[in-house]
Amino acid sequence: MSTSSPERDALQQRSALVVGVGGLGCPVALALVEAGVGRIVLCDDDVVDATNLHRQILFTEADVGTDKLTAAERALYRVGAHPGSITLVPSRLLPENARELVASVDVVLEGADNFATKFLCADACYLEQRAVVHGAAVRLRATVLSVAAEGAPCYRCLFEDLPSGEAAPNCAEAGVLGPVTGLAGALMADRALSILLGDQSVFGSIVSYDAKTDCAREFRVAARADCALCGPQRSIPNITVNRYTAASCAA
Amino acid sequence: MATVRIPTPLRVLTGGEDQVQAAGDTVKDVIETLEKNHPGIRERLLDDKGVRRFVNIYVGDEDIRFLDGLATALKATDEISIVPAIAGG
Repeated sequence: MSTSSPERDALQQRSALVVGVGGLGCPVALALVEAGVGRIVLCDDDVVDATNLHRQILFTEADVGTDKLTAAERALYRVGAHPGSITLVPSRLLPENARELVASVDVVLEGADNFATKFLCADACYLEQRAVVHGAAVRLRATVLSVAAEGAPCYRCLFEDLPSGEAAPNCAEAGVLGPVTGLAGALMADRALSILLGDQSVFGSIVSYDAKTDCAREFRVAARADCALCGPQRSIPNITVNRYTAASCAA
Repeated sequence: MATVRIPTPLRVLTGGEDQVQAAGDTVKDVIETLEKNHPGIRERLLDDKGVRRFVNIYVGDEDIRFLDGLATALKATDEISIVPAIAGG
């Protein structure tokens, strides 16, 4: 997608929520600023750690120990974000704030590091009728899924529900290759910009990238008739805390 | 023989191979062949209800859920891709 003047003018009137300012959220936020998105809301509660620096490209060694939002805001204004265009939400996306946060923007970019936040974000976006781009990266692999405001298909059509603890191996030592998050974050931003400009063609597929084979494949995703979130018999009418407590990693 | 693309988390079971060949007339048959050659892989893909809910299996670019599920018939030239849910960034 190019950002010629009419597109840039349109993007200045639009807004985006970035859930998680990490390996995915950093390149996402940078690309949104560079494209001229008028209001960017950053949501995170973490501080910069030295082990983040290889992939969290908004941060430098001088930022270690600083909260990520302050460091990210500084970096984004340095590269030309419009004054006042960055809004900071120093919190995780939580059941208590999810619906209000997603409803405050035109599109959501979710790059959280845990499944509970991913499913929470998916549910909040469907309930508030907001399009969302889900990104994930572990080791050498990344996936990007764009979901329309009306779902069908949505994240739950594809992955149904949080993995159980028994089925979910520990990923604490998994790690992730820096360029994999950069590539996935750039793709997430590109998809979000397309959505903000009215392109419907990005919905209904998941991109899976493998850095070992350097191969990106796009798979069609169909709406699932028994989807608990967006199917005809949907059973998730609201956000309840106990729906989002489970293991933090899988497969 | 179908070609099966193995995602990073499961390569520990395939000796690091990112794709393997496996015989079988259906997706289920291929998974059984994989299990013989790479013990432990079936449990990562299936539970007692079928394909695990956070795993998706594709033949070509089609999700088997929208074909015939595990009974989906295969041609020798088919490529099977396994796409598990991942979280991280």
